[in-house]
Amino acid sequence: MQTKGIWLAGVLVVLFLAAVPDTSRGITVPDTVILNTQSKLYEPFTFNHAKHIQLTKECSNCHHHTTGTLVQDPNCVRCHRNSSETQEVSCKGCHQTDSFSATAMHEKDPKTYHKDKPSLKAAMHRNCLGCHENMKGPMGCQDCHQRTKEGDAFYYSGAYAPKNKPSKGEHNGH
Amino acid sequence: MKRRDFLKGCLIGGAAASLGAPSKSWAVGSFEGYPDAMGVLVDTTRCIGCRSCEAACNKEQKLPEPDVPFDDTSVFEEKRRTTEKAYTVVNRYETNDGQKPPYRKMQCNHCNEPGCLTSCFVNAYTKTKEGAVIYNGNVCVGCKTCMVACPFNIPAYSYSSAFDPLIKKCIFCYHTRLKFGKPPACVEICPQEALTFGLRSDLIKMGHERIRETPDRYIDHIYGEKEMGGTSWLYLSRVPDDQIGLDTTLGNEPVISNVKDFLGMVPMVLTIWPALFSGIHLLATRNKDHGDEHHNHSEQEDGKK
Amino acid sequence: MKKLIASGAITVNSPQKSSDRKWTFMEKLFLGLTLPQYIGQALRNPFNWIIAIIFAVGIPIILGRFIFGLSWVTHSSNDYPWGLFLAFGLFGMVPLSSSGFLLGTACEVFGRHDLEPIERLGLLNGLLGYFFAVVFLLIDLGQPWRLPFPMVVSFGPAAVLFLVAWHVSTYLSVQIAEVSVSFFEWIGFPIGVRAIRKITLGLTVSGIILSTLHQGALGALFTYAPGKVHPLWYSSSFQWIHFFVSSIPGGLCMVITVSTIASKTMSWRFDQRFKDSLDRVTVSLAKGASMGLATYLTIKLMSIAHDNKWAYLTTGYGQWYLVEIMIGVIIPMTLFAYAIHHKKLPIIRFSALLVVLGIFLNRLNTALITFNWKLSEREIPHWREVAICVTVYTIYIVVYRFILYRLPIFYQWKTQEQYALAYAAKPETTILKDTEPALVFASKTEAKAFRNAETITS
Repeated sequence: MQTKGIWLAGVLVVLFLAAVPDTSRGITVPDTVILNTQSKLYEPFTFNHAKHIQLTKECSNCHHHTTGTLVQDPNCVRCHRNSSETQEVSCKGCHQTDSFSATAMHEKDPKTYHKDKPSLKAAMHRNCLGCHENMKGPMGCQDCHQRTKEGDAFYYSGAYAPKNKPSKGEHNGH
Repeated sequence: MKRRDFLKGCLIGGAAASLGAPSKSWAVGSFEGYPDAMGVLVDTTRCIGCRSCEAACNKEQKLPEPDVPFDDTSVFEEKRRTTEKAYTVVNRYETNDGQKPPYRKMQCNHCNEPGCLTSCFVNAYTKTKEGAVIYNGNVCVGCKTCMVACPFNIPAYSYSSAFDPLIKKCIFCYHTRLKFGKPPACVEICPQEALTFGLRSDLIKMGHERIRETPDRYIDHIYGEKEMGGTSWLYLSRVPDDQIGLDTTLGNEPVISNVKDFLGMVPMVLTIWPALFSGIHLLATRNKDHGDEHHNHSEQEDGKK
Repeated sequence: MKKLIASGAITVNSPQKSSDRKWTFMEKLFLGLTLPQYIGQALRNPFNWIIAIIFAVGIPIILGRFIFGLSWVTHSSNDYPWGLFLAFGLFGMVPLSSSGFLLGTACEVFGRHDLEPIERLGLLNGLLGYFFAVVFLLIDLGQPWRLPFPMVVSFGPAAVLFLVAWHVSTYLSVQIAEVSVSFFEWIGFPIGVRAIRKITLGLTVSGIILSTLHQGALGALFTYAPGKVHPLWYSSSFQWIHFFVSSIPGGLCMVITVSTIASKTMSWRFDQRFKDSLDRVTVSLAKGASMGLATYLTIKLMSIAHDNKWAYLTTGYGQWYLVEIMIGVIIPMTLFAYAIHHKKLPIIRFSALLVVLGIFLNRLNTALITFNWKLSEREIPHWREVAICVTVYTIYIVVYRFILYRLPIFYQWKTQEQYALAYAAKPETTILKDTEPALVFASKTEAKAFRNAETITS
């Protein structure tokens, strides 16, 4: 009954990222970011931002909101073709941690195109995993964040793995 | 609700008809679901097969220890179904288009007009206004008709219990979450938001919007929008639905529509038969004394012997 | 029993043992024999030993089902919730028990008094069939002690099973009332006999209504599973008609089969009237059954044409479907046509048995064998499931025999005056003479009857 964000829910994203690497706005780009600080099932971990910048080169590969090159997504282009860079670039600036709570659901503005906005957890997972898959990056859960003891219990894994019981009532699963 | 009420009316009316009251109207309306019913949009293109939803369900519903850990992916080698120990399972499906195999979570789809509910003779099932199909184990006799009636093969039965066997199925976390406006445990834990919780009516719009925005990602169909009269849980897929184990032959009529023919006949038999057969009796025996004439007759025969 | 009768034992067929003394209840219970005689004849009967072996194995398994749960005895699973108990016991036995309402209707409503000698057998067959169908249901239900719930605790009136529950229970009471006439005569309670006779027509008409509805309702239960029952065995519009119509030849042929077995094993219990009329009545029943089969075949074809399912006939399931139709409908129909015309009674009796088997096969096919035809996994019943079915069916046979031995089903109960009359005229009862020739076949035929019963069970 941990209602909010069993894991990753309270991700602390301190992604203050400049629009372009030349720090035109005078904001420094963090080299590392601590993610997943409030999850119970997985440990917090350090995200090597600098390394990812090196690998991807292009900020807009991960950040939308016209950070870096202009938006390319045809669905966004319809409105944001000429939008200027936004103030807010951090993920958690827009993506909520509790997108299915009653308040979050009521806040959704039916008139905008952003109704189907994923939660912070989903946005990060989809962004990271989607890219990792294409770039042959690590894909396993524990490749990024180590599971806690509570997480082991939750998944009946590790020390909490089920003892190999003879599966009685063998026909039950038909 | 209208149709169920109608059928109830039919039967009660039929019972009453046998006592002399006329039976009621024939207008079968189609129940479209409660306006505030919640639902979940399952976007199978997002699912990565992490099985976290299974773990969350196990914990939330206080289910027994699983046979293998929830991070064990060897389970994908076979097709599993829901059981008394697992109200939801994720299966992997092989497709022949060279892309990564899709996963699909299965659980109770929480039909608008559930087959289990309409087949239950002790009314153990309830479709709540929040959209959940819940089950009352205190009145269940264990006839297992609901399992036969479920087109999605969802309800499981605790056959191993000798003294309190019950139906085991997903109840949309109704008692612990949905009732309080919270999403079910599986939705909350999903890292990919492959599961989107919301008003069913909104989810249908959202699903069509996703298809429209990224037509390459999806086939143009939301499974559950119309199937079996519509379900609260809806599926989006990259490949045709039957390739991810969804039965595409079910049609759009709810289960109860198939039974309608028979149920509609009941009041007629109740009213027409007594008159018909009494009439035949009078015709067949018009030349003899009424009442217990044949017994006299046979007794006379006996007397002769 | 036959030996005893040959040696001078008198069968109970009236309240009077002799002109000055009435049978006591215990004497009636022991068929008018002394206790040693009774036990002796029971022990000499090889069929009883086979029953004893079946019970020795089966009854502990039945008890085990209630101690260790369903998973100990069945292979019923989440995909196959209805196993052999319901497919064989409930869906198979109920159509074969339609005889109660059929013969009741024929005799009481249509005024077919020529069928009266077998009416009571029809009624008893109906009552026992239903009763044991409920026994099978109780074994299969997860929580059988809650069976009265749909009547008193919680109502689901839009469910077909709700109708079945109410109708079967009401109909059981109707049948008990109908059969109780024989019982009241036997125990000597003439007021009861007269009371029931007054309401016979009402009971019969309510029997027709209830039977039409729940025979149909059992079929309608399968319309809840349109995707699971194989299309050849499924029809949304006709399912209940299939089940109802097939129950007509089913019930009639079951009566023919039972009377055949009885004539081989307990002809000592028949009175002259029954003996004289058995062949004639059998032909009449066979005629009725033929009509029923013809109607059934027509509707079966119609439902295939209606949904245009001809293509399925070329599949493996289609061939199996044709086998079922051949065994249960077409072959018996042909044989009936020939045998009725030429008055070949053995052939009629054989085809009646085929129809009975055909009904079992049809219900097993619908509920179990072709059920879930889209799934790759087929359900094979657990051996304990089979053992329980055989045991319950054996109990059914034993109870059936127990009642036939005693109650005036095959013979007419003589009132005190009639007895006095007969006694005065002919001191030696006719029954005694008639049974003598049958003596030699006593043990042989009983074994045969058992084999017949076994064929039905297996």
